[in-house]
Amino acid sequence: MEHIRTPKVENVRLVDRISSKKATLGTLYLTATHVIFVENAPDTRKETWILHSQISTIEKQATTATGCPLLVRCKNFQLLQLVIPQERDCHDVYISLIRLARPVKYEELYCFSFNPKLDKEEREQGWTLIDLSEEYKRMGLPNNYWQLSDVNRDYRVCDSYPTELYVPKSATAHIIVGSSKFRSRRRFPALSYYYKDNHASICRSSQPLSGFSARCLEDEQMLQAIRKANPGSDFIYVVDTRPKLNAMANRAAGKGYENEDNYSNIKFQFIGIENIHVMRSSLQKMLEVCELKSPSMSDFLWGLENSGWLRHIKAIMDAGIFIAKAVSEEGASVLVHCSDGWDRTAQVCSVASLLLDPHYRTLKGFMVLIEKDWISFGHKFNHRYGNLDGDPKEISPVIDQFIECVWQLMEQFPCAFEFNERFLIHIQHHIYSCQFGNFLCNSQKERQELKIQERTYSLWAHLWKNRADYMNPLFRADHSQTRGTLRLPTTPCNFMYKFWNGMYNRFEKGLQPRQSVTDYLMAVKEETQQLEEELEALEERLEKIQKVQLNHTKVKSKQSEPSKHSGFSTSDNSTANTPQDYSGNMKSFPSRSPSQGDEDSALILTQDNLKSSDPDLSANSDQESGVEDLSCRSPSGGECAPSEDSAKDRDSDEAVFLTA
Amino acid sequence: MFSLKPPRPTFRSYLLPPPQTDDKINSEPKIKKLEPVLLPGEIVVNEVNFVRKCIATDTSQYDLWGKLICSNFKISFITDDPMPLQKFHYRNLLLGEHDVPLTCIEQIVTANKINGIPSGGGSGPGGGGVQKTPLFETYSDWDREVKRTGASGWRVCSINEGYMISTCLPEYFVVPSSLADQDLKIFSHSFVGRRMPLWCWSHSNGSALVRMALIKDVLQQRKIDQRICNAITKSHPQRSDVYKSDLDKTLPNIQEIQAAFVKLKQLCVNEPFEETEEKWLSSLENTRWLEYVRAFLKHSAELVYILESRHLSVVLQEEEGRDLSCIVASLVQVMLDPHFRTLTGFQSLIQKEWVMAGYQFLDRCNHLKRSEKESPLFLLFLDATWQLLDQYPAAFEFSETYLAVLYDSTRISLFGTFLFNSPHQRVKQSTEFAISKNIQLGDEKGLKFPSVWDWSLQFTAKDRTLFHNPLYIGKSTPCVQNSSLKSFKRTKKNYSSTLRGMPASLKNGIISDQDLVPRRNSLILKAKPDLPQQPESQNSGMERYFREWFSKPANLHGVILPQLSGTHVKLWKLCYFRWVPEAQINLGGFITAFHKLSVLADEVDVLSRTLRQHQAGPLEACYAELDKSRMYFRASGPHDASGTPEFLSSSFPFSPVGNLCRRSISGTPLSKFLSGAKIWLSTETLANED
Repeated sequence: MEHIRTPKVENVRLVDRISSKKATLGTLYLTATHVIFVENAPDTRKETWILHSQISTIEKQATTATGCPLLVRCKNFQLLQLVIPQERDCHDVYISLIRLARPVKYEELYCFSFNPKLDKEEREQGWTLIDLSEEYKRMGLPNNYWQLSDVNRDYRVCDSYPTELYVPKSATAHIIVGSSKFRSRRRFPALSYYYKDNHASICRSSQPLSGFSARCLEDEQMLQAIRKANPGSDFIYVVDTRPKLNAMANRAAGKGYENEDNYSNIKFQFIGIENIHVMRSSLQKMLEVCELKSPSMSDFLWGLENSGWLRHIKAIMDAGIFIAKAVSEEGASVLVHCSDGWDRTAQVCSVASLLLDPHYRTLKGFMVLIEKDWISFGHKFNHRYGNLDGDPKEISPVIDQFIECVWQLMEQFPCAFEFNERFLIHIQHHIYSCQFGNFLCNSQKERQELKIQERTYSLWAHLWKNRADYMNPLFRADHSQTRGTLRLPTTPCNFMYKFWNGMYNRFEKGLQPRQSVTDYLMAVKEETQQLEEELEALEERLEKIQKVQLNHTKVKSKQSEPSKHSGFSTSDNSTANTPQDYSGNMKSFPSRSPSQGDEDSALILTQDNLKSSDPDLSANSDQESGVEDLSCRSPSGGECAPSEDSAKDRDSDEAVFLTA
Repeated sequence: MFSLKPPRPTFRSYLLPPPQTDDKINSEPKIKKLEPVLLPGEIVVNEVNFVRKCIATDTSQYDLWGKLICSNFKISFITDDPMPLQKFHYRNLLLGEHDVPLTCIEQIVTANKINGIPSGGGSGPGGGGVQKTPLFETYSDWDREVKRTGASGWRVCSINEGYMISTCLPEYFVVPSSLADQDLKIFSHSFVGRRMPLWCWSHSNGSALVRMALIKDVLQQRKIDQRICNAITKSHPQRSDVYKSDLDKTLPNIQEIQAAFVKLKQLCVNEPFEETEEKWLSSLENTRWLEYVRAFLKHSAELVYILESRHLSVVLQEEEGRDLSCIVASLVQVMLDPHFRTLTGFQSLIQKEWVMAGYQFLDRCNHLKRSEKESPLFLLFLDATWQLLDQYPAAFEFSETYLAVLYDSTRISLFGTFLFNSPHQRVKQSTEFAISKNIQLGDEKGLKFPSVWDWSLQFTAKDRTLFHNPLYIGKSTPCVQNSSLKSFKRTKKNYSSTLRGMPASLKNGIISDQDLVPRRNSLILKAKPDLPQQPESQNSGMERYFREWFSKPANLHGVILPQLSGTHVKLWKLCYFRWVPEAQINLGGFITAFHKLSVLADEVDVLSRTLRQHQAGPLEACYAELDKSRMYFRASGPHDASGTPEFLSSSFPFSPVGNLCRRSISGTPLSKFLSGAKIWLSTETLANED
């Protein structure tokens, strides 16, 4: 690759953040998609993989006697401190990474080269796993009050909205178009969630272009139509999620908020969630607290408070609680907006939906929720998460905050969610990883133009396939707690919101709890499953023995077939180290001589690689690419032993090993 | 023993009777007819009719009408109305849901408790359960403990029989074998309070944990100190040195701890939350409470290192040796010895290191409300234990509910356990009382008070099951592991079952050696240590010890060490927030997980019992076992059918609903009563009643 100035640096030290004295010596590789650090220690050869798209900042620090330190901060809160012996090498790595971490074209992103070895059909199926029209049907739509509108066909009215939208039946195309002209970026009020128990709904839009006195008849009619679509209530709430001051400042720019006098039967409400810039710096401050080497109790608590992060989380939760209460208890419909209606509005609508509807607390339902409130309604993933090189001021942890809100709820209601913490962490990881196409671009329109569905894979299918990893063992669908609305106290209870160690310190193993109830249950569950499998296998074997009456020794001897050593097909892609040939998680990178026992290498594999179905589980993250390239270069070189003796249990395409 | 005088009419209701006119006619006599439930010997001091109890923060709609009585034990609100909004409460057998023991009330002088207690044996000490809690009042309890820990070179000494030497030491305690009684008698004069060295516990490697007071005799100081240390060294099988830890220098003192607790109470209970809204975390930090909890955990962990890894005996030194030493000695033992993480073991630990060692419960809990020496050291210990329980949820037999109830029990003045400054005081005071009342003591040393460990006095058998931790893995769990199944291999795909650091793997509840070999689900921890920060070179050994310990899976039947970073030391919400309605999450909180886990654990219990039954044939014993469950929530019980019980809230089993609400208390009759009470209710008043 033209951007890689040096593909490999030896004798690099990876510094342990917690005990600074401890550092591991190893080799650093740069590939087209990853930075890889491989420990020299022969017995472990632990690898650390970092996707380029995860790199947030790279900092070159002053050269010391031991070498040139390079600090790599990742968007998934991993922090890598490398010491490179030669200043020149360090500079080369630095320059290369700066470029690699900031792609300018979508085509440079990992998802366009990532190939999990699925055929076309499977890929297409993956994309149909989450179907929004099904979701609206589940809500009970269309019905007498709401209909599917084609007004935004070909994105004629609003280019950041989806084409399929639900609007009140009484809202004609004329009203919609008129209303859209009176709203920022033409994001007119459209349905986000319909609560079929009492016909109340949550609608979303952007701010009105009201300035100090402007009015728009169609917009007023639009709000009226929303109110009329809920016969149970004679008013609607209009919730502006901005602080009042911000909203008022917008009036000077010809924008602003609804005047209660102009709209009939609305109750207007401000809920002060700060803007993306405040949130960005708040996260920054909190991460500084996380980076403290050994914070005292007061460093930690003061730092956390001064970051304001938990206060912001609470503001979002409060807005969601307010809306959920209005809908479920007062039976009133709510229109939510902020400025453009794609950040705070998305947060608040999805939190409210999550509180209201237990379906969104299931694995699939949660995917639907993100698809609905975030992806389809034009949350600007590319800008917010800096997938392509762009304005740093556009970057902000908007969806991170939503994900944290969900976690806070999970902490308060440990049995109400079908999924676990890991599910959230993996979603957060992939929002930044660009390994799957779901979160690319800023709108549905852009995604369609890029033909994302034809060229990339869907994360949802991947997560669904591995759903066993994401189940909350405490969840049971039939329990009363998992049905109905989650009710939280609305009184000021800041103490309910906690620092999310599992997310922000997730690469600091030393800071992770040694035991958690969930982990415990998961382990027990897996153990049980394993035993059952074992039992099944043994029963089968017993049957065989009895049937064929073979003598003992023969049965006991290993029945392993010769493992498949399918050589990798040369990829048609010109870039040298794309992951095309490399699939799944099965590779055993550290080479072992084939003479070693099969069982041995299986153990080594589990111990060293701690591989998981997902690449980011362990600190040695992505292993799904570039391996052939690397293996050839790796000092021990040569052969990879089959990693297991039970190759027969495996899908053949999962086993792509190299032969020297 | 008491003559029940008619109460003086000092209470007046300032309220109109309930406004409902139709009720009014009936309610007046009805309320007057309400009778309080009294314990034997309890007397009603005063009563008033037409009292309204406000139970909801936002509305007076649910207020209850009834009669308020005050006895020499409690304030009791009696009503005919059923409690609204509340489908469940666990019951304390001594106290109804509307009762507050007088000792629980701040700002009020309480009755002289000794007068109030029914005497005459009672139900005797010991838990109502299967296992009796050793009280360490006898020679044999100590002897058994010495044998249990395998301490050689230590002996039980009985020179303090009849409290002849020291009034703040137990009658029996354990000393180095090489010290003769005669020497001890001589040395004792040099120690503050004549508190000579007390053995607490011995590690299996022979290192002992010892606590002692300062030597006040400056001239003799070095000599005696030397003698004691030599004796301790002699008692060590490897004759290794003694490590001395001066607690007064390294830990916060009792005044600081009290100040922190006052602030914590202010923050959690007394202040409206609006005011702390923005500054919750810094207000919490300002209390210093968590910092102190952390300091004790950290210091104890360091001593664990000394005992376990450096094989040195540890001597805890403190001026009087009966305050901070209690916390540190107990925490070290909780970390090192799994026995003290069982229910009985924990109770015996409290008997040993607190009650018998002369922790001044009377002064520190301020039962008489006239002590300047109040300090919540016992609560701090329970809080630190909770931190360990929170970090190692499967290592303890008891639950956090148990810890909270235990704390509450220090405030109920019926139990002798937490009432006195020393065992001697109990004997002395109660003997004097018995003589003055002409009660025959017989062979007893003083009156026998009910022990707090007899939980059946306070809770029904069903409620007591809430003390059990469903995650606890007892040693007795049978291992049905077939040897051929031991080597697990990955059969499908390589995935780690966990996101992060994993708990030690379980093999049918047993941690076996094989578990150190990583298996398919990679349960092995690869954690890095969270080190207590130390000057680097000096304590590299300690650093290494912690790092190594944290890099291995935690053995729940071995040593456990606390993680000490800011994210790990947490506020014990159940304890401090349980009475705060705003903090309650209905159908939420850890208790919902606790419920599911209990059901699961019960299911496992039932299954394994059935299994045993099958194996052993129809044994009668199993039948009896079958209806007994460890768990509060039963697998096949009525709760299971309906899923999560509706009454669960994050405060369960405590309920803020129906208790005094912070916000509505001012301006209510109860508040008037409380402030008025200061004037008339005093020890003298009650003394005159006699």
